[in-house]
Amino acid sequence: MEITGSLNAIGYGLSAIGGGIGVGLVFAAFIQGVARQPEAQRVLQPLAFMGLAFTEALAILGLVFAFVW
Amino acid sequence: MDNAVILASAEGANPLMPNWWEVLVTLVGFLILLFIVSKFVVPMFEKTFEERHAAIEGGIEKAAAAQAEADAALEEYKQQLSDARTEANRIREEARSEGAEILAELKAKAASESARITEQAQVAIASERSAAQASLRTEVGTLATQLAGKIVGEALDDDARSARVVDRFLSDLESQQAGAAK
Amino acid sequence: MIALALPTATEGDGFQAPQISDLHLPDILPWGAEYGTGFGKQMLLVLLSVVLISWFFVAAARKRQLVPGKFQFLGESIYGFARNTVGRDMLGEKEFRKYTPLLTALLAFILVNNLMGAIPFLQIPTTSHVGTAYALAGLVYVYWIFLGIKTHGIKYFKVATVPSGVPKPFLIMVIPIEIVSTFLVRPMTHSLRLFATMLSGHMIVALTAAAMSFMFTGLGEWWGYPLGSLIFVGGLAMYLFEIFIMVLQAYVFTLLTAVYIQGSIADAH
Repeated sequence: MEITGSLNAIGYGLSAIGGGIGVGLVFAAFIQGVARQPEAQRVLQPLAFMGLAFTEALAILGLVFAFVW
Repeated sequence: MDNAVILASAEGANPLMPNWWEVLVTLVGFLILLFIVSKFVVPMFEKTFEERHAAIEGGIEKAAAAQAEADAALEEYKQQLSDARTEANRIREEARSEGAEILAELKAKAASESARITEQAQVAIASERSAAQASLRTEVGTLATQLAGKIVGEALDDDARSARVVDRFLSDLESQQAGAAK
Repeated sequence: MIALALPTATEGDGFQAPQISDLHLPDILPWGAEYGTGFGKQMLLVLLSVVLISWFFVAAARKRQLVPGKFQFLGESIYGFARNTVGRDMLGEKEFRKYTPLLTALLAFILVNNLMGAIPFLQIPTTSHVGTAYALAGLVYVYWIFLGIKTHGIKYFKVATVPSGVPKPFLIMVIPIEIVSTFLVRPMTHSLRLFATMLSGHMIVALTAAAMSFMFTGLGEWWGYPLGSLIFVGGLAMYLFEIFIMVLQAYVFTLLTAVYIQGSIADAH
């Protein structure tokens, strides 16, 4: 039996691990912060989404390279 | 499957390469939508929101005004009530002091009246007594001499002598009384 | 796993997983033309969504009742969500009014275009074609750079790339990172996040559908039926999850737009 496919998919899978962990950490910290200090939500929310954007950027770069190479 | 892959690679259909038709259509479509939204939809919604806000705000203001009015009325009533209460207190106080005054006056008057009456009575008693004493002195003397004359049988007409005897008797009596009083 | 367990496709007889190019249908306007040369189904759906959203919003907004009916309430809650939850919370009480139309249009447009993938027969999220995602993200990209230059003048590029409070020697390292992350990675991730989630979600639903149909009709064994039913249940779950992801991605796209706008109109950070 032979398995065909692209190594790119595996590489993307690996790159998604880091992004997944990172996004989890960002939102865990966000939720903790809001739970401790609910009135800080307005300040924290843009920061959390900036963090999400930055962190997920790595996973999305992985996706791009999976398609490009 | 092979066919599709070949077709795709022939087109260069990398999913990250945009189809420029799509970009164009999306841009035009979205800009039209943006125009419609910003020109018609948002102003209408904002107007609705504002009207609703005004309606709610107006209701709240009206309620607040009514509340304030009621508060003012209540305050006024309370003020009046407390005024009336102080007035009543004052009047009661006045009445009490007046009553006390009247009472004191009456007492003083009664006391002076009673003192006067007592004095009068004493004076009257004293004069009665002195009158009684005087009359007694004369009558007792006369009676005693008449009695003594009858007993003795001899007229004690000699007034001078008899008067002397009576006087001596009376002064003895008085001195006896004084000794008893001591 | 199932695909691996089966004999590999040699004759076109075995299981064929759907390909990405299956999403790229032939164009309509030159009928049956190769994908990319003309006006296709996806673009038709984009225009349909524009018409639908415009009609919906205008119809919902036109009545302007103080106590809204159901229809007006739905429109108002979508509008209120874009205006208050996204706009006012992110941009602040003073600034958000100017950007409400953009945010509302973006939210509604992406939401409807994503949900195109969940409607039977339409069945393709138009944002799973990268051109649409690029167009929206590019528009937002140009817009927030424009806003930054309008607010700060040409100094905006210094504001955006030189963080304050970093020691001088580190700036050599930090500035290129900031340039790359702000001006290259941002628009790319902004568009690709939407595109990739839509594409992969749609592929998963398509995969389960293809696998189920293969189990029922193509396999010809009795155990194809229970297995196919199992896949149907899983596919249904993925379908519902995909709807959730569609709504979430519309929210995230709009929210990130607001965050980027806030970053360029805010004072130097």
